[in-house]
Amino acid sequence: MADVVRFASMGTRVELHRFGAGDDDALTAAQRAIEAVDDALTIHRPSATTALNERLMAGQGAAIDDALLFEALVTIEELHASTLGLFDPAADRRFASAGWSAIAFDRNSARIEVSMPVALDFGGFGKGFALDRACAVLREKGVVSACLSAGESSIAVVGEHPLGGGWPFAIAHPLRPDEILVEIELTDESVSISSTVGAGANAPERAAMIRPTDASIVSAPRCTVAVDRLGAHAEAMSTALLVADEDQAERLLNGDRTRRFLFDFPRGAAILDQSARMSFND
Amino acid sequence: MTDKDFDLSRRSFIDRVLMATAGAGMAAAAPWASAAVGAAPVAKGDRVRLGVIGTGDRGRGLIQNIAKTRNCTVAAICDNFELHLAKGRALVDASTRAFTDHRAMLDAGGLDAVVIATPLDLHKQQSFDAFDAGLHVWCEKAMARTIDDCGAMVKKSQDSGKVLQIGHQRMFKPTYLNAVRRAKEGEIGSLTQIRASWHRQSSWRRPVPAGATDRQINWRLYRDSSAGLMTELATHQIQVSNLFFDAVPTRVMGSGSICFWKDGREVYDHVALIYEYAGGRKLIYTSLLNNARYGCEEQIQGSKGTIEPELGRIYKELPPKELALLRMQADVASGKKRAVPIGGATWFAELPVTTPGEPLGWGEYDETMLQFEGFGEAVRTGKPLPGLLSQAYHASVASLLGEQAMDSGQILAWPTSLVAI
Repeated sequence: MADVVRFASMGTRVELHRFGAGDDDALTAAQRAIEAVDDALTIHRPSATTALNERLMAGQGAAIDDALLFEALVTIEELHASTLGLFDPAADRRFASAGWSAIAFDRNSARIEVSMPVALDFGGFGKGFALDRACAVLREKGVVSACLSAGESSIAVVGEHPLGGGWPFAIAHPLRPDEILVEIELTDESVSISSTVGAGANAPERAAMIRPTDASIVSAPRCTVAVDRLGAHAEAMSTALLVADEDQAERLLNGDRTRRFLFDFPRGAAILDQSARMSFND
Repeated sequence: MTDKDFDLSRRSFIDRVLMATAGAGMAAAAPWASAAVGAAPVAKGDRVRLGVIGTGDRGRGLIQNIAKTRNCTVAAICDNFELHLAKGRALVDASTRAFTDHRAMLDAGGLDAVVIATPLDLHKQQSFDAFDAGLHVWCEKAMARTIDDCGAMVKKSQDSGKVLQIGHQRMFKPTYLNAVRRAKEGEIGSLTQIRASWHRQSSWRRPVPAGATDRQINWRLYRDSSAGLMTELATHQIQVSNLFFDAVPTRVMGSGSICFWKDGREVYDHVALIYEYAGGRKLIYTSLLNNARYGCEEQIQGSKGTIEPELGRIYKELPPKELALLRMQADVASGKKRAVPIGGATWFAELPVTTPGEPLGWGEYDETMLQFEGFGEAVRTGKPLPGLLSQAYHASVASLLGEQAMDSGQILAWPTSLVAI
């Protein structure tokens, strides 16, 4: 048995494909989990995050009452540290010194303080975070094989492919859709793809990628891929790789060269690693 | 239509209202509707006796609707224009008294309430006279020509302890009530914008019969007696906006012009306004008189869909299918395993999928009759239909504030000195 739900959430299309076992309401419950994250983390309509941002932009501290927002902030604090500070949902191109470093988050008191006006934009992290929660719901509902997509750049899978083994995915070249950058297989994992070029990067209202170190817009043509057990972690890593300088990229890629990839376009960009870092003619 | 058929039509209509207003959320959102459907039938001799002031087109339409209610009756009619009064007489029993002056009708007694269907600038004085005569008042929208006069009518009603009800039939229409219920249940997500329009292909100018004056017949075209499109049409749709947003506007800006019908009229034939609500929500309103392509509609726009109540349709924000993952489904079904191409665009084009609405259908019984049955019950009990007057008051204030914003070219804030209801 296979079934699917499609809906709009997290600013993109979401598809949940379930194969085989699991409760009848598994996909509906997973959809609700994703929508709950969207409701909490969105900055495009009133939410717990916009309420928090109003305080933070005024330079004021705030208590975190929303459980999902709290969990997201806990995860972000960890990911900010594990990505050399390069994953930074508080980076702001208007203010060079704005960023997570201006935030003091006390998880014990569930309170956030700021040293200057900042605002949070969870972006792709939110998609990965939402997919993680949806995967957890599916597993609780007895699902053993499922593929979840939030747009074409955030994928999570539960269990093995319905025909056995990992789920095979081919990451397309962002500028040449007929070419494949890399093929990967996922089992109980997530993948995140980030790019400064291609249709996604040129989409209307797509926010520019900001380099946290100097608040500049990352304009160099680059595409990154990160695989992780958790979607939130994959999103943070692909984002960090996108804004990383050469040294930083090398350190991040060394963490797992079979699950992290960086592609610079065109040829001429520094090639640091033959397996995990590749260059293409434009 | 037989009496039995009419009763079935009424029952069907009432059932739709009851279904639309079921639940605590709707009881709070539209309490007047469920109160109106609870009106008990009354023996003919005990029905609420109404005196209708104004027997022009609208007044005569009201008389016909009142005649079908189960608790009201037209006991007297009044119009200062003989042709209209004669047409009114033709709709009522020969024994129904007819007057050319509303004060004479009030002095004659024998009434429980009046129905006012006269030019806008007369509403305040006529309702005051009725309240002073100890009567309840049902008055056509908009309430009055000025914001102060609207407030004065509310205050007079409160001071006299008499019911004041304003004619806004959408507040009793199952399609609208059902749309509000579905919106409140989150079916179209967070409501952020309403686009409303009332576009007509009509000069709005009526021929003046012998014995009448242009200002008597075409009072909608002159500033002394009307705010034109704002008080005749926009007030309905602003009320709908207030109902869906569950709020009144915070401020309004707009532009109005006599753009097409340059025939000596004084009111705008084109209006375009933005009403802002708390949280950045907006009503974007246009009305004009030389293009009917987009007609009358309110587009209730939420993050997950759109409701168009006039058409009775809901549109959900469903994204297009993901082709690569669709192919994966087919592969698995045929026992084939191959890599799924991903990457690239993370956005999607706006390709809304339309779904059929819920057709209301047409019956002999309609919302105008229900609002009169509700009024009849309010008169009988001395208790106004809950929540209804504030809806009407705020809609009238908003329409007149919009007129002021267009006239002044200024952004005007919601008045802080309104009468509390």
